[in-house]
Amino acid sequence: MSQPASPLHRFWVEFRENRIAVVALVVVVIMILLALFANLVSPQNPYDLANLSLMDSRRPPGFVGSGGYTHLLGTDPQGRDLLSAIFYGLRISIQIGLAAGFVSLTIGTALGILAAYVGGRIEALIMRLVDLQLSFPAILLALVIVALLGQGKAQLIGALVAAQYAYFARTAYGAAKAERGKDYIEAAVATPLSSRQIVWRHLLPNCTPPLIVVATVQIANSISLEATLSFLGLGLPVTEPSLGMLISNGFPYMMSGRYWISVYPGVALIILIVAINIVGDQVRDQFNPRLRK
Amino acid sequence: MTFQKFLAPLTIAVGLSMAGAASAQTLTMGVRGGPESMDPHFSALGPHAEAAKHIFDTLVWSGDDLQIEPGLATSWTPVDDDTWEFKLRQGVKFHDGSDFDAEDVKFSIERIPVVTGPTTTAIYVRRVAGVDIIDPHTIHIHTDGQAATLPNDFIRLFIVSSEAAADYSTPETAAEGFNSGKAAIGTGPYKFVSWEPKGDLVLEKNPDYWRGEGAWETVIRKEIPNDSSRLAALKAGQVDVINYVSSVDYLALANDSNIDAIEGDSVYIMNLQLDQREKTPLVRAIDGSELAENPFRDLKVRQAIDHAIDRQTMVDIVLEGLGKPANQMMPPGFFGSSENIPMPEYNPEKAKALLAEAGYPNGFEVDLYCTADRLPGDGAICQGLGQMFTQVGIKTNVNAISKTVYFPAQARLEYSMFMNGWGTLTGEASYTLGGLAHSNNPDVKLGAFNRIEYKNDEVDQLLQAGATMMDPDERRATYEQAMEKVMADKAYISIVQLQTVWAAKAGMLEFTPRFDEDTLAFFIKPAS
Amino acid sequence: MLGFIIQRFLQAVAVMAVMSVIVFCGVYAIGNPIDIVIPPDATQDIREEAIRRLGLDRPLYEQYFIFMANLLQGDLGRSFVYNIPVLELIGGRLPATLELVLISVISATVIGVTLGIYAGYRPDSWVSKTIMAVSVLGFSVPSFWVGLILILTFAVNLGWLPAGGRGETVEIWGVPWSFPTLDGLSHIVLPAINLALFKLAMMIRLARAGTREIMLTDTIKFARAAGLSEGTILRRHLLKLISIPIITVFGLELGSTLAFAVVTETIFSWPGVGKLIIDSIAVLDRPVMVAYLILVAFLFVTINFVIDLVFALIDPRVRKGATA
Repeated sequence: MSQPASPLHRFWVEFRENRIAVVALVVVVIMILLALFANLVSPQNPYDLANLSLMDSRRPPGFVGSGGYTHLLGTDPQGRDLLSAIFYGLRISIQIGLAAGFVSLTIGTALGILAAYVGGRIEALIMRLVDLQLSFPAILLALVIVALLGQGKAQLIGALVAAQYAYFARTAYGAAKAERGKDYIEAAVATPLSSRQIVWRHLLPNCTPPLIVVATVQIANSISLEATLSFLGLGLPVTEPSLGMLISNGFPYMMSGRYWISVYPGVALIILIVAINIVGDQVRDQFNPRLRK
Repeated sequence: MTFQKFLAPLTIAVGLSMAGAASAQTLTMGVRGGPESMDPHFSALGPHAEAAKHIFDTLVWSGDDLQIEPGLATSWTPVDDDTWEFKLRQGVKFHDGSDFDAEDVKFSIERIPVVTGPTTTAIYVRRVAGVDIIDPHTIHIHTDGQAATLPNDFIRLFIVSSEAAADYSTPETAAEGFNSGKAAIGTGPYKFVSWEPKGDLVLEKNPDYWRGEGAWETVIRKEIPNDSSRLAALKAGQVDVINYVSSVDYLALANDSNIDAIEGDSVYIMNLQLDQREKTPLVRAIDGSELAENPFRDLKVRQAIDHAIDRQTMVDIVLEGLGKPANQMMPPGFFGSSENIPMPEYNPEKAKALLAEAGYPNGFEVDLYCTADRLPGDGAICQGLGQMFTQVGIKTNVNAISKTVYFPAQARLEYSMFMNGWGTLTGEASYTLGGLAHSNNPDVKLGAFNRIEYKNDEVDQLLQAGATMMDPDERRATYEQAMEKVMADKAYISIVQLQTVWAAKAGMLEFTPRFDEDTLAFFIKPAS
Repeated sequence: MLGFIIQRFLQAVAVMAVMSVIVFCGVYAIGNPIDIVIPPDATQDIREEAIRRLGLDRPLYEQYFIFMANLLQGDLGRSFVYNIPVLELIGGRLPATLELVLISVISATVIGVTLGIYAGYRPDSWVSKTIMAVSVLGFSVPSFWVGLILILTFAVNLGWLPAGGRGETVEIWGVPWSFPTLDGLSHIVLPAINLALFKLAMMIRLARAGTREIMLTDTIKFARAAGLSEGTILRRHLLKLISIPIITVFGLELGSTLAFAVVTETIFSWPGVGKLIIDSIAVLDRPVMVAYLILVAFLFVTINFVIDLVFALIDPRVRKGATA
């Protein structure tokens, strides 16, 4: 092989060594594609009520419904094709995970860097708040906030952000603080360089690797948290179900043997979360200098 | 993953535990909801009254089919336009041995507004203006104006002992006095032993009960809110009988020879309600533009909607057999239900034709709202309606939401098309039609739940006349006529009547389902 | 040292005060409980009477001060639904939650630490790799899903264990516990596994990481050179060294497990505090929600306070300052 060109390329070469991580990455990419193109790959649009027939409801996998095609994973109580519902549910779950992750990342990073850069009372205040929140279980916080705000996508994302921004803030703060203490920044602060330049050129780039790690983990967590809230009946409305909602809708049927309504969406959820976490683990290991050989 | 596999180990478990639960001495009931306090006057909720009926008696009894019967009162007659005379049962004793008399009735009536909780029991005595004791077993109740249905109000008027409860009749002391058992002294078939909120209510037999002795020495009323857990408890032999078997489990249960399923009709009917205001908020043309007028004001549109509903499929598929198609807002046989109303026909072609005739050949779009967590199947029926309407061209966005959001918004008239259950808890039409079908008019205390501004002058007149008729036959005919007119207008469209299922171990119990869905130990007997 | 304690204590009190305002205002901003607790056919007078009786007609700040005044006397108010003191209601359900949480956390710690030490001690054996794979799953899979699968497998298909509810209880010092009875144990197994799994994964990772680091230190090398047996090294040095972080995490996790119990209790219909809070949210029983959240906040602030103190005590700089 020729000389490793870019850091990204070097990163990829190292990443490639872990077979499982590569498989996980492929799985994540496939799932994102499925979610993106749900309307193309699904046999049915599960939200178009004109397409659904109650006659097809709660049929086991392999049933050929009134639409003339086989329901590979069976149907739900509304006669929705479960495979289609899972693709669309995947879309909603990933959407919410990404949105919540991105907003938390922005808010958390801004707060963390602000605290590290400004210091003093503001630093103490922000970080005390962040630490306090970190000790408080995210699930409980999200639960209360959703109860407060009511149901809906925006409310749900708000709750997830409130429950998670602190992880980003802590990470950004840690990295930025370490960098802030270095002589060259101290020197830069003394020069006429604007603070914006210091933050953008020096602090932020140094925070990026750990933030990427936190972001992958937190996106997986958001998806899982959203599913949990939906399961508890505090998530999205039942008519546009995320994976968690699909699982929750099928739960009562578990006892009477109609397991597929709940189990298949669950399997999709688990594969997604585990795959993201494996990728995240590998990325973290690569960023962690202590584990480097 | 078949049901057979699931069953095999359970059969053994049931077999083993038979010995323990089979003794006729103790009846353990697994119920979905429980009381909120041992003070019968604290709450008007169904499970609360159901629990209270074990310990306390009511002045007027409501029978299996909600017909009113003598309870602690043996007879009642109107003496003038605003006075009812109640004759009280003689020789009845409280659990502490003291005699029941008119003083206890007066005390109970007057106590209610003071100690009631937020789910107020004051509705049972809202018409009462004053109470006069004539002699220890005769009492006169004065009402504010003519109150033809006063005896119906009294089916949940629990009588507590004026002596035992004397010190426990303020909001601060009532819960403590009753929950500890000191004041929980009634005349009912069972005596209070212990209770824990959301836990077990333990009762022992009252051997001197005036209806005769109960069949069980001890009754334990176990609160198990989760439907699956309750059924599991029955299968495992931890309880002898359960209420509210969910429709999800019902089909499987019918094939289970170890369990007897007892179906009963409920008082709940799912009604679709169509806003009759000139402007309605949540309706638009398919392209999103505003419609010139509210389509629901057109009878043809309402008929089209009625024809679009496949009631049989709702029952067979959505409720998995646990319901009946409904053509009016009350179950058949109730006071005021009419036999002349036809069962609406499911005919999507006719629905489309009617829509076209009404000027909506391409249909329109509407947001349908309903509760998703109040009654069994409500959310699913709602989504089923969405499919059926969309298939005839009315593009329907289904919003099956929590009752905590739904009812307040419904009361603010925010919806255009909505569905929820209505239970005719009193068994007669003045409650249902008076609340829903009369135009909203606080002056005559009618139409308080008319959330669609439905107004039919003929119906209004019939309902006002019915409210003051003392002759039962005349009243019945008046309400039947009103019901026919309301259902023909199709602003209220009844869809299905819900059914409830009790389950008991096969061949163990004799049990008659009650319309009000109460599970009462006194009326459950060991199988002979 | 004393100054530090006082400073942290005042901070904790301030945090609690702020929390109480946030919780109170937050919860009181949710909907109007009146629409839920009174029957649909109540008249206007009845409605107003109910509002007055629940104290909802007063301005928010007044409601808050009444609440705080009562709180300082140890009274958290009365449940709208049950009309009994909230503390009594929560207290009645606490034993169920406590026994579930304690059994979960203790078994997760014992099993997790054992497995983790093994995985750290022999990092390359296939057993260790399996252990680590399990821990990744334990971390990733949402706990409600695990609960579902447990029910499907052990209750529905195999029929070995009950699907939910709490079993027979016996009273010990007037408190009902279910773990001493066979029936009670059979009910507690599934929810306890469900609740423990996440903690188990965490304990495995913690113990493994700790073990790996310690095994490479000079202490262990010297001990080995001195001819101590591997068993003695594990017992005397390793366990001692990794126990401090594990005990810390144990304390922290006890609190968060209490909170996580919300999910497990819902799935298994476990009649604990978590189920109570979910039910109370459903019916907007505000006093119960406020009390629960304030108690949880109090718990966490206390744990944080104690941990701050403990860290201050074991921090060598502080210790040096104290002995000198």
